[in-house]
Amino acid sequence: MIDILKDAISKIRTLITPPSYLSWQTCLLLSLFSWLMAAIAESSEAAPFTVVLLSTFSWLFLTIAIWWGLTENPVEIGYLSISPWITAAVMCVFLFRPWTTERLQLAMGCWPVVATILVAIPNFFNWGLDWKLPKPHIRQELIVLLLVNLLLSSWIMFYFRIQHWFDDYPSLMAENLDNSAFVYRFGNDSNGTSQADILLTSAAASLVKQLDNAPWPRVERWLLNLDNSISSVASGIILNTISERVFWSLDAPRPQSVSNGYQIKLRANWLGPTAKENGYYVEKVCTILPRPLKQRTGNEEQPTTSTPVAQVTCADETKEVERTVNAETGVPST
Amino acid sequence: MGELEPVFPFKAVIFQILFLLVAIALEAMVLRQKMRLGYRQSVRYAAAVNLLAVVVGWFAFLAIEPLIEPRLQAQVISYVLFDNLINNTLKPQMGWIILVAGLGAFFITLIIKLKGLELLMRAVGTWKLPAKPKDLSRQERYSRSRTGTTRYQEAASQFAIAVLQANALSFSAILLLLVLRSYILRSVA
Repeated sequence: MIDILKDAISKIRTLITPPSYLSWQTCLLLSLFSWLMAAIAESSEAAPFTVVLLSTFSWLFLTIAIWWGLTENPVEIGYLSISPWITAAVMCVFLFRPWTTERLQLAMGCWPVVATILVAIPNFFNWGLDWKLPKPHIRQELIVLLLVNLLLSSWIMFYFRIQHWFDDYPSLMAENLDNSAFVYRFGNDSNGTSQADILLTSAAASLVKQLDNAPWPRVERWLLNLDNSISSVASGIILNTISERVFWSLDAPRPQSVSNGYQIKLRANWLGPTAKENGYYVEKVCTILPRPLKQRTGNEEQPTTSTPVAQVTCADETKEVERTVNAETGVPST
Repeated sequence: MGELEPVFPFKAVIFQILFLLVAIALEAMVLRQKMRLGYRQSVRYAAAVNLLAVVVGWFAFLAIEPLIEPRLQAQVISYVLFDNLINNTLKPQMGWIILVAGLGAFFITLIIKLKGLELLMRAVGTWKLPAKPKDLSRQERYSRSRTGTTRYQEAASQFAIAVLQANALSFSAILLLLVLRSYILRSVA
Protein backbone atom coordinates (compact mmCIF):
# COMPACT_ATOMS: atom_id res chain seq x y z
CA MET A 1 0.00 0.00 0.00
CA ILE A 2 2.69 2.45 1.04
CA ASP A 3 4.78 1.30 -1.90
CA ILE A 4 1.97 2.11 -4.29
CA LEU A 5 1.58 5.51 -2.68
CA LYS A 6 5.30 6.18 -2.91
CA ASP A 7 5.26 5.08 -6.50
CA ALA A 8 2.37 7.39 -7.30
CA ILE A 9 4.02 10.33 -5.55
CA SER A 10 7.28 9.80 -7.41
CA LYS A 11 5.36 9.54 -10.69
CA ILE A 12 3.53 12.81 -9.98
CA ARG A 13 6.87 14.40 -9.01
CA THR A 14 8.49 13.42 -12.26
CA LEU A 15 5.38 14.62 -14.11
CA ILE A 16 5.25 18.07 -12.55
CA THR A 17 8.99 18.71 -12.25
CA PRO A 18 9.80 21.15 -15.04
CA PRO A 19 12.28 19.69 -17.51
CA SER A 20 13.36 23.23 -18.39
CA TYR A 21 12.47 26.77 -17.35
CA LEU A 22 10.13 27.18 -20.28
CA SER A 23 7.64 24.35 -19.86
CA TRP A 24 4.06 23.78 -18.91
CA GLN A 25 5.09 22.35 -15.55
CA THR A 26 6.53 25.76 -14.64
CA CYS A 27 3.16 27.34 -15.36
CA LEU A 28 1.41 24.69 -13.27
CA LEU A 29 3.73 25.35 -10.33
CA LEU A 30 3.25 29.10 -10.76
CA SER A 31 -0.48 28.55 -10.68
CA LEU A 32 -0.23 26.47 -7.50
CA PHE A 33 2.01 29.13 -5.98
CA SER A 34 -0.43 31.93 -6.84
CA TRP A 35 -3.29 29.90 -5.46
CA LEU A 36 -1.39 29.29 -2.24
CA MET A 37 -0.60 33.00 -1.94
CA ALA A 38 -4.25 33.84 -2.62
CA ALA A 39 -5.30 31.43 0.13
CA ILE A 40 -2.81 33.00 2.57
CA ALA A 41 -3.97 36.50 1.59
CA GLU A 42 -7.56 35.44 2.09
CA SER A 43 -6.89 34.00 5.54
CA SER A 44 -4.85 37.01 6.66
CA GLU A 45 -7.69 39.33 5.58
CA ALA A 46 -5.74 41.16 2.93
CA ALA A 47 -7.44 43.67 0.63
CA PRO A 48 -9.97 41.99 -1.68
CA PHE A 49 -8.04 43.34 -4.66
CA THR A 50 -4.97 41.31 -3.70
CA VAL A 51 -6.96 38.12 -3.38
CA VAL A 52 -8.72 38.68 -6.71
CA LEU A 53 -5.44 39.50 -8.43
CA LEU A 54 -3.66 36.44 -7.06
CA SER A 55 -6.53 34.06 -7.82
CA THR A 56 -6.86 35.50 -11.34
CA PHE A 57 -3.18 34.84 -11.91
CA SER A 58 -3.63 31.35 -10.55
CA TRP A 59 -6.41 30.69 -13.09
CA LEU A 60 -4.41 32.27 -15.88
CA PHE A 61 -1.36 30.11 -15.22
CA LEU A 62 -3.52 27.01 -14.84
CA THR A 63 -5.18 27.69 -18.21
CA ILE A 64 -1.83 28.23 -19.91
CA ALA A 65 -0.35 25.15 -18.23
CA ILE A 66 -3.24 22.95 -19.37
CA TRP A 67 -3.18 24.39 -22.89
CA TRP A 68 0.57 23.90 -23.16
CA GLY A 69 0.59 20.48 -21.53
CA LEU A 70 -2.23 19.19 -23.73
CA THR A 71 -0.55 20.53 -26.86
CA GLU A 72 2.51 18.46 -25.99
CA ASN A 73 0.59 15.39 -24.83
CA PRO A 74 -2.70 15.41 -26.77
CA VAL A 75 -5.62 13.45 -25.39
CA GLU A 76 -7.07 11.46 -28.22
CA ILE A 77 -10.23 9.45 -28.66
CA GLY A 78 -9.79 7.47 -31.82
CA TYR A 79 -8.27 9.89 -34.32
CA LEU A 80 -9.90 12.90 -32.72
CA SER A 81 -7.91 15.08 -30.37
CA ILE A 82 -10.13 16.45 -27.62
CA SER A 83 -7.46 18.63 -26.02
CA PRO A 84 -8.92 21.93 -27.35
CA TRP A 85 -12.24 21.15 -25.69
CA ILE A 86 -10.53 20.46 -22.35
CA THR A 87 -8.58 23.71 -22.53
CA ALA A 88 -11.70 25.57 -23.65
CA ALA A 89 -13.64 24.12 -20.70
CA VAL A 90 -11.01 25.42 -18.27
CA MET A 91 -11.05 28.81 -20.00
CA CYS A 92 -14.83 29.05 -19.90
CA VAL A 93 -14.86 28.22 -16.19
CA PHE A 94 -12.28 30.98 -15.72
CA LEU A 95 -14.08 33.51 -17.91
CA PHE A 96 -17.71 32.95 -16.93
CA ARG A 97 -17.50 31.46 -13.39
CA PRO A 98 -20.57 29.32 -14.05
CA TRP A 99 -21.82 28.92 -10.49
CA THR A 100 -25.35 30.04 -11.37
CA THR A 101 -27.53 28.38 -13.98
CA GLU A 102 -27.63 31.46 -16.25
CA ARG A 103 -23.84 31.70 -16.26
CA LEU A 104 -23.58 27.94 -16.79
CA GLN A 105 -25.80 28.32 -19.85
CA LEU A 106 -23.55 31.05 -21.24
CA ALA A 107 -20.36 29.14 -20.47
CA MET A 108 -21.64 25.86 -21.99
CA GLY A 109 -22.95 27.66 -25.07
CA CYS A 110 -19.61 29.39 -25.68
CA TRP A 111 -17.48 26.35 -24.89
CA PRO A 112 -17.37 24.78 -28.41
CA VAL A 113 -16.78 28.18 -30.00
CA VAL A 114 -13.87 28.89 -27.63
CA ALA A 115 -12.44 25.47 -28.52
CA THR A 116 -12.64 26.36 -32.23
CA ILE A 117 -10.88 29.66 -31.63
CA LEU A 118 -8.12 27.82 -29.74
CA VAL A 119 -7.62 25.49 -32.69
CA ALA A 120 -7.82 28.30 -35.24
CA ILE A 121 -5.47 30.85 -33.64
CA PRO A 122 -2.19 29.03 -34.37
CA ASN A 123 -3.19 28.78 -38.04
CA PHE A 124 -3.53 32.54 -38.42
CA PHE A 125 -0.07 33.42 -37.11
CA ASN A 126 3.39 32.34 -38.11
CA TRP A 127 6.30 31.98 -35.71
CA GLY A 128 7.01 35.71 -35.82
CA LEU A 129 3.46 36.35 -34.60
CA ASP A 130 2.62 38.02 -37.90
CA TRP A 131 -0.87 37.82 -39.28
CA LYS A 132 -1.26 35.45 -42.20
CA LEU A 133 -4.09 33.69 -43.90
CA PRO A 134 -3.90 29.90 -43.67
CA LYS A 135 -3.64 27.80 -46.81
CA PRO A 136 -6.89 27.14 -48.70
CA HIS A 137 -7.33 23.51 -47.60
CA ILE A 138 -6.73 24.50 -43.97
CA ARG A 139 -9.24 27.34 -44.37
CA GLN A 140 -11.82 24.83 -45.53
CA GLU A 141 -11.11 22.52 -42.61
CA LEU A 142 -11.39 25.41 -40.16
CA ILE A 143 -14.73 26.48 -41.63
CA VAL A 144 -16.14 22.97 -41.24
CA LEU A 145 -14.70 22.74 -37.72
CA LEU A 146 -16.34 26.04 -36.79
CA LEU A 147 -19.68 24.90 -38.18
CA VAL A 148 -19.53 21.57 -36.32
CA ASN A 149 -18.77 23.40 -33.10
CA LEU A 150 -21.59 25.89 -33.70
CA LEU A 151 -23.88 22.87 -34.12
CA LEU A 152 -22.64 21.53 -30.76
CA SER A 153 -23.40 24.97 -29.28
CA SER A 154 -26.90 24.85 -30.73
CA TRP A 155 -27.55 21.46 -29.15
CA ILE A 156 -26.34 22.72 -25.79
CA MET A 157 -28.54 25.82 -26.06
CA PHE A 158 -31.49 23.66 -27.11
CA TYR A 159 -30.97 21.64 -23.93
CA PHE A 160 -31.15 24.84 -21.90
CA ARG A 161 -34.23 25.98 -23.79
CA ILE A 162 -35.97 22.75 -22.78
CA GLN A 163 -34.93 23.43 -19.18
CA HIS A 164 -36.55 26.87 -19.53
CA TRP A 165 -39.79 25.20 -20.58
CA PHE A 166 -39.71 22.97 -17.49
CA ASP A 167 -38.98 26.04 -15.44
CA ASP A 168 -41.88 28.03 -16.88
CA TYR A 169 -44.34 25.16 -16.93
CA PRO A 170 -43.39 22.79 -14.08
CA SER A 171 -46.39 20.53 -14.73
CA LEU A 172 -44.58 19.29 -17.86
CA MET A 173 -42.08 17.52 -15.61
CA ALA A 174 -44.78 15.11 -14.43
CA GLU A 175 -45.46 13.99 -18.01
CA ASN A 176 -44.26 10.90 -19.77
CA LEU A 177 -41.61 11.87 -22.33
CA ASP A 178 -41.16 8.44 -23.97
CA ASN A 179 -42.94 9.46 -27.17
CA SER A 180 -40.68 12.41 -27.86
CA ALA A 181 -38.54 12.37 -30.98
CA PHE A 182 -36.25 14.99 -29.47
CA VAL A 183 -35.53 14.35 -25.82
CA TYR A 184 -34.63 11.42 -23.61
CA ARG A 185 -35.17 11.42 -19.88
CA PHE A 186 -32.48 9.83 -17.73
CA GLY A 187 -33.58 8.29 -14.49
CA ASN A 188 -36.53 5.95 -14.28
CA ASP A 189 -39.40 8.19 -13.31
CA SER A 190 -40.28 11.83 -13.15
CA ASN A 191 -39.62 13.61 -9.91
CA GLY A 192 -41.89 16.51 -10.73
CA THR A 193 -45.55 16.66 -9.90
CA SER A 194 -48.37 18.45 -11.60
CA GLN A 195 -49.11 21.87 -10.22
CA ALA A 196 -52.78 20.87 -9.96
CA ASP A 197 -52.50 20.10 -6.24
CA ILE A 198 -51.19 23.57 -5.42
CA LEU A 199 -53.80 25.13 -7.66
CA LEU A 200 -56.70 23.19 -6.16
CA THR A 201 -55.51 23.77 -2.60
CA SER A 202 -55.52 27.52 -3.15
CA ALA A 203 -58.86 27.32 -4.97
CA ALA A 204 -60.33 25.37 -2.05
CA ALA A 205 -58.96 27.92 0.40
CA SER A 206 -60.59 30.66 -1.65
CA LEU A 207 -63.87 28.72 -1.67
CA VAL A 208 -63.74 28.28 2.09
CA LYS A 209 -63.05 31.98 2.51
CA GLN A 210 -66.05 32.91 0.39
CA LEU A 211 -68.61 30.43 1.73
CA ASP A 212 -67.60 29.26 5.17
CA ASN A 213 -69.90 30.83 7.76
CA ALA A 214 -71.91 32.53 5.04
CA PRO A 215 -75.68 32.46 5.49
CA TRP A 216 -77.23 29.44 3.81
CA PRO A 217 -79.46 31.34 1.28
CA ARG A 218 -76.43 33.18 -0.01
CA VAL A 219 -74.65 29.88 -0.47
CA GLU A 220 -77.53 28.54 -2.52
CA ARG A 221 -77.55 31.66 -4.68
CA TRP A 222 -73.80 31.25 -5.09
CA LEU A 223 -74.27 27.68 -6.25
CA LEU A 224 -77.08 28.60 -8.65
CA ASN A 225 -74.82 31.17 -10.25
CA LEU A 226 -71.96 28.69 -10.34
CA ASP A 227 -70.13 29.83 -13.48
CA ASN A 228 -69.64 33.37 -12.24
CA SER A 229 -68.88 32.16 -8.74
CA ILE A 230 -66.15 29.83 -9.95
CA SER A 231 -64.44 32.58 -11.92
CA SER A 232 -64.24 34.61 -8.72
CA VAL A 233 -62.60 31.59 -7.08
CA ALA A 234 -60.28 31.19 -10.08
CA SER A 235 -59.01 34.73 -9.81
CA GLY A 236 -57.62 33.92 -6.39
CA ILE A 237 -55.60 30.83 -7.25
CA ILE A 238 -51.87 30.65 -6.75
CA LEU A 239 -49.32 28.72 -8.79
CA ASN A 240 -45.60 28.27 -8.37
CA THR A 241 -44.99 29.99 -11.69
CA ILE A 242 -47.14 32.70 -13.18
CA SER A 243 -46.45 31.65 -16.76
CA GLU A 244 -48.22 28.33 -16.27
CA ARG A 245 -51.49 30.10 -15.41
CA VAL A 246 -52.47 30.25 -19.11
CA PHE A 247 -52.57 26.45 -19.26
CA TRP A 248 -55.05 25.99 -16.41
CA SER A 249 -58.73 26.70 -16.33
CA LEU A 250 -60.89 26.13 -13.29
CA ASP A 251 -64.49 25.05 -13.51
CA ALA A 252 -66.96 22.94 -11.63
CA PRO A 253 -69.74 20.61 -12.76
CA ARG A 254 -73.22 21.10 -11.28
CA PRO A 255 -73.21 20.45 -7.54
CA GLN A 256 -74.75 17.23 -6.31
CA SER A 257 -77.09 17.06 -3.34
CA VAL A 258 -75.85 15.02 -0.44
CA SER A 259 -77.96 14.60 2.71
CA ASN A 260 -79.03 18.16 3.40
CA GLY A 261 -76.14 19.94 1.72
CA TYR A 262 -74.20 19.93 -1.54
CA GLN A 263 -71.09 18.34 -2.89
CA ILE A 264 -69.09 20.41 -5.35
CA LYS A 265 -66.16 19.22 -7.45
CA LEU A 266 -63.49 21.77 -8.21
CA ARG A 267 -61.99 20.81 -11.51
CA ALA A 268 -58.64 22.09 -12.83
CA ASN A 269 -58.41 21.58 -16.59
CA TRP A 270 -54.95 21.30 -18.11
CA LEU A 271 -54.97 23.00 -21.51
CA GLY A 272 -51.24 22.86 -22.17
CA PRO A 273 -49.01 20.30 -23.89
CA THR A 274 -49.46 16.80 -22.56
CA ALA A 275 -48.63 13.23 -23.47
CA LYS A 276 -52.21 12.16 -22.70
CA GLU A 277 -54.11 12.08 -25.93
CA ASN A 278 -57.17 14.09 -24.95
CA GLY A 279 -55.70 15.95 -22.03
CA TYR A 280 -56.64 15.55 -18.40
CA TYR A 281 -58.22 17.33 -15.47
CA VAL A 282 -57.76 17.09 -11.73
CA GLU A 283 -60.63 17.16 -9.28
CA LYS A 284 -61.02 18.00 -5.63
CA VAL A 285 -64.24 17.33 -3.75
CA CYS A 286 -65.68 19.91 -1.37
CA THR A 287 -68.79 19.42 0.75
CA ILE A 288 -70.98 22.31 1.83
CA LEU A 289 -73.31 21.55 4.72
CA PRO A 290 -75.67 23.81 6.62
CA ARG A 291 -74.89 24.30 10.27
CA PRO A 292 -77.15 25.87 12.82
CA LEU A 293 -75.84 29.27 13.85
CA LYS A 294 -74.33 29.37 17.32
CA GLN A 295 -74.81 32.59 19.14
CA ARG A 296 -71.89 33.78 21.18
CA THR A 297 -73.75 36.43 23.06
CA GLY A 298 -73.85 34.77 26.42
CA ASN A 299 -71.75 32.32 28.31
CA GLU A 300 -73.91 29.39 27.30
CA GLU A 301 -73.98 28.60 23.59
CA GLN A 302 -77.46 27.92 22.38
CA PRO A 303 -78.33 26.56 18.97
CA THR A 304 -81.09 28.73 17.57
CA THR A 305 -83.54 28.10 14.82
CA SER A 306 -82.53 31.17 12.80
CA THR A 307 -80.88 30.89 9.37
CA PRO A 308 -78.11 28.31 9.37
CA VAL A 309 -74.63 29.09 8.02
CA ALA A 310 -72.56 26.99 5.67
CA GLN A 311 -69.71 24.76 6.68
CA VAL A 312 -67.26 24.00 3.89
CA THR A 313 -64.86 21.08 4.08
CA CYS A 314 -62.59 20.06 1.22
CA ALA A 315 -60.94 16.70 0.80
CA ASP A 316 -57.16 16.65 0.98
CA GLU A 317 -56.68 14.23 -1.87
CA THR A 318 -57.18 15.04 -5.53
CA LYS A 319 -58.07 12.77 -8.42
CA GLU A 320 -56.51 12.98 -11.86
CA VAL A 321 -58.84 11.98 -14.70
CA GLU A 322 -57.75 11.44 -18.27
CA ARG A 323 -60.27 12.86 -20.67
CA THR A 324 -62.02 10.60 -23.14
CA VAL A 325 -63.03 11.85 -26.55
CA ASN A 326 -66.69 12.31 -25.60
CA ALA A 327 -66.15 13.77 -22.19
CA GLU A 328 -69.29 15.28 -20.81
CA THR A 329 -67.70 18.69 -20.50
CA GLY A 330 -66.18 18.58 -23.95
CA VAL A 331 -63.01 20.48 -24.66
CA PRO A 332 -62.97 23.82 -22.90
CA SER A 333 -61.88 26.82 -24.85
CA THR A 334 -58.65 28.56 -24.03
CA MET B 1 -33.67 29.10 -13.52
CA GLY B 2 -33.99 26.45 -10.92
CA GLU B 3 -32.85 22.89 -10.80
CA LEU B 4 -31.75 21.23 -14.03
CA GLU B 5 -33.73 18.20 -15.11
CA PRO B 6 -31.98 15.11 -16.50
CA VAL B 7 -33.78 15.52 -19.83
CA PHE B 8 -31.34 15.70 -22.73
CA PRO B 9 -32.06 16.18 -26.45
CA PHE B 10 -30.15 13.02 -27.40
CA LYS B 11 -32.79 11.73 -29.78
CA ALA B 12 -32.72 15.07 -31.59
CA VAL B 13 -28.92 14.79 -31.88
CA ILE B 14 -29.12 11.28 -33.30
CA PHE B 15 -31.85 12.23 -35.79
CA GLN B 16 -29.90 15.32 -36.82
CA ILE B 17 -26.71 13.34 -37.45
CA LEU B 18 -28.67 10.77 -39.46
CA PHE B 19 -30.42 13.41 -41.58
CA LEU B 20 -27.16 15.30 -42.09
CA LEU B 21 -25.45 12.15 -43.33
CA VAL B 22 -28.30 11.44 -45.76
CA ALA B 23 -28.36 15.03 -47.01
CA ILE B 24 -24.58 15.25 -47.40
CA ALA B 25 -24.38 11.96 -49.28
CA LEU B 26 -27.16 12.89 -51.71
CA GLU B 27 -26.03 16.48 -52.26
CA ALA B 28 -22.42 15.44 -52.78
CA MET B 29 -23.67 13.06 -55.48
CA VAL B 30 -25.54 15.84 -57.28
CA LEU B 31 -22.72 18.39 -56.93
CA ARG B 32 -20.20 15.87 -58.24
CA GLN B 33 -22.24 15.18 -61.35
CA LYS B 34 -23.43 18.72 -62.07
CA MET B 35 -20.35 20.71 -61.19
CA ARG B 36 -17.73 18.15 -62.20
CA LEU B 37 -16.02 18.23 -58.82
CA GLY B 38 -13.82 15.56 -57.31
CA TYR B 39 -15.39 13.01 -54.98
CA ARG B 40 -13.71 14.29 -51.83
CA GLN B 41 -14.24 17.93 -52.68
CA SER B 42 -17.95 17.53 -53.38
CA VAL B 43 -18.44 15.74 -50.04
CA ARG B 44 -16.61 18.56 -48.29
CA TYR B 45 -18.69 21.26 -49.98
CA ALA B 46 -21.94 19.41 -49.28
CA ALA B 47 -20.96 18.93 -45.63
CA ALA B 48 -20.05 22.59 -45.20
CA VAL B 49 -23.24 24.01 -46.74
CA ASN B 50 -25.50 21.56 -44.89
CA LEU B 51 -23.80 22.29 -41.58
CA LEU B 52 -24.21 26.00 -42.30
CA ALA B 53 -27.90 25.53 -43.05
CA VAL B 54 -28.61 23.58 -39.84
CA VAL B 55 -26.60 26.04 -37.72
CA VAL B 56 -28.55 28.99 -39.17
CA GLY B 57 -31.75 27.02 -38.63
CA TRP B 58 -30.95 26.30 -34.99
CA PHE B 59 -30.02 29.88 -34.25
CA ALA B 60 -33.19 31.10 -35.95
CA PHE B 61 -35.30 28.64 -33.92
CA LEU B 62 -33.60 29.56 -30.65
CA ALA B 63 -34.05 33.26 -31.39
CA ILE B 64 -37.66 33.10 -32.60
CA GLU B 65 -39.11 30.47 -30.25
CA PRO B 66 -39.37 32.73 -27.14
CA LEU B 67 -41.06 35.46 -29.19
CA ILE B 68 -43.82 33.54 -30.94
CA GLU B 69 -47.44 33.56 -29.90
CA PRO B 70 -48.16 31.48 -26.75
CA ARG B 71 -50.60 29.15 -28.52
CA LEU B 72 -48.03 28.34 -31.21
CA GLN B 73 -45.34 27.98 -28.57
CA ALA B 74 -47.54 25.47 -26.78
CA GLN B 75 -47.81 23.50 -30.03
CA VAL B 76 -44.01 23.61 -30.46
CA ILE B 77 -43.45 22.38 -26.89
CA SER B 78 -46.03 19.68 -27.41
CA TYR B 79 -44.36 18.53 -30.63
CA VAL B 80 -40.87 18.50 -29.12
CA LEU B 81 -41.73 16.82 -25.82
CA PHE B 82 -44.68 14.59 -26.70
CA ASP B 83 -44.57 14.20 -30.49
CA ASN B 84 -48.17 15.34 -30.88
CA LEU B 85 -50.12 18.54 -31.36
CA ILE B 86 -52.36 19.67 -28.55
CA ASN B 87 -56.00 20.48 -28.93
CA ASN B 88 -56.01 24.25 -28.61
CA THR B 89 -57.67 26.86 -30.81
CA LEU B 90 -54.70 26.86 -33.16
CA LYS B 91 -55.00 23.17 -34.00
CA PRO B 92 -57.13 23.57 -37.18
CA GLN B 93 -54.55 25.96 -38.68
CA MET B 94 -51.51 23.84 -37.77
CA GLY B 95 -51.49 22.04 -41.12
CA TRP B 96 -51.20 25.35 -42.97
CA ILE B 97 -48.64 26.71 -40.53
CA ILE B 98 -46.43 23.62 -40.96
CA LEU B 99 -46.79 23.75 -44.74
CA VAL B 100 -45.85 27.44 -44.91
CA ALA B 101 -42.98 26.95 -42.46
CA GLY B 102 -41.70 24.00 -44.51
CA LEU B 103 -41.83 25.93 -47.79
CA GLY B 104 -40.16 28.92 -46.15
CA ALA B 105 -37.47 26.63 -44.75
CA PHE B 106 -36.88 25.15 -48.21
CA PHE B 107 -36.33 28.49 -49.93
CA ILE B 108 -34.32 30.04 -47.09
CA THR B 109 -32.14 26.91 -47.05
CA LEU B 110 -31.69 27.22 -50.81
CA ILE B 111 -30.53 30.83 -50.49
CA ILE B 112 -28.20 29.93 -47.61
CA LYS B 113 -26.70 27.07 -49.60
CA LEU B 114 -26.24 29.18 -52.75
CA LYS B 115 -24.58 32.03 -50.90
CA GLY B 116 -22.71 29.71 -48.54
CA LEU B 117 -21.27 27.59 -51.32
CA GLU B 118 -20.22 30.69 -53.25
CA LEU B 119 -18.51 32.20 -50.20
CA LEU B 120 -16.87 28.87 -49.35
CA MET B 121 -15.53 28.45 -52.88
CA ARG B 122 -14.26 32.02 -52.83
CA ALA B 123 -12.58 31.41 -49.46
CA VAL B 124 -10.94 28.25 -50.71
CA GLY B 125 -10.07 29.87 -54.02
CA THR B 126 -11.93 27.49 -56.34
CA TRP B 127 -14.62 29.95 -57.42
CA LYS B 128 -14.36 29.60 -61.18
CA LEU B 129 -17.29 31.70 -62.29
CA PRO B 130 -16.06 34.61 -64.38
CA ALA B 131 -16.56 37.98 -62.73
CA LYS B 132 -19.72 39.76 -63.73
CA PRO B 133 -18.65 41.66 -66.86
CA LYS B 134 -19.25 45.42 -66.79
CA ASP B 135 -18.53 46.05 -70.40
CA LEU B 136 -19.33 43.22 -72.65
CA SER B 137 -16.77 42.44 -75.24
CA ARG B 138 -17.77 42.33 -78.86
CA GLN B 139 -17.80 38.54 -78.76
CA GLU B 140 -19.94 38.50 -75.60
CA ARG B 141 -22.47 40.83 -77.16
CA TYR B 142 -22.56 38.60 -80.17
CA SER B 143 -23.10 35.44 -78.13
CA ARG B 144 -25.78 37.17 -76.08
CA SER B 145 -27.71 38.23 -79.11
CA ARG B 146 -27.35 34.74 -80.50
CA THR B 147 -28.28 32.62 -77.47
CA GLY B 148 -29.93 35.17 -75.19
CA THR B 149 -27.44 34.69 -72.35
CA THR B 150 -23.94 35.74 -71.47
CA ARG B 151 -21.31 33.24 -70.40
CA TYR B 152 -21.60 34.56 -66.85
CA GLN B 153 -25.35 34.05 -66.77
CA GLU B 154 -25.03 30.58 -68.15
CA ALA B 155 -22.43 29.51 -65.60
CA ALA B 156 -24.36 31.15 -62.75
CA SER B 157 -27.60 29.45 -63.70
CA GLN B 158 -25.87 26.07 -63.99
CA PHE B 159 -24.47 26.57 -60.50
CA ALA B 160 -27.89 27.59 -59.16
CA ILE B 161 -29.58 24.62 -60.82
CA ALA B 162 -27.05 22.22 -59.31
CA VAL B 163 -27.64 23.61 -55.80
CA LEU B 164 -31.43 23.65 -56.32
CA GLN B 165 -31.44 20.01 -57.41
CA ALA B 166 -29.22 19.02 -54.49
CA ASN B 167 -31.44 20.87 -52.03
CA ALA B 168 -34.65 19.44 -53.47
CA LEU B 169 -33.24 15.91 -53.37
CA SER B 170 -32.11 16.13 -49.75
CA PHE B 171 -35.37 17.75 -48.60
CA SER B 172 -37.40 15.05 -50.33
CA ALA B 173 -35.30 12.28 -48.80
CA ILE B 174 -35.63 13.70 -45.28
CA LEU B 175 -39.36 14.29 -45.74
CA LEU B 176 -39.70 10.68 -46.88
CA LEU B 177 -37.83 9.50 -43.77
CA LEU B 178 -40.09 11.60 -41.53
CA VAL B 179 -43.23 10.28 -43.20
CA LEU B 180 -41.93 6.72 -42.89
CA ARG B 181 -41.21 7.28 -39.22
CA SER B 182 -44.71 8.52 -38.42
CA TYR B 183 -46.23 5.77 -40.57
CA ILE B 184 -44.27 3.06 -38.76
CA LEU B 185 -45.02 4.53 -35.32
CA ARG B 186 -48.72 4.70 -36.14
CA SER B 187 -48.89 1.15 -37.44
CA VAL B 188 -47.15 -0.12 -34.31
CA ALA B 189 -49.47 1.75 -31.97
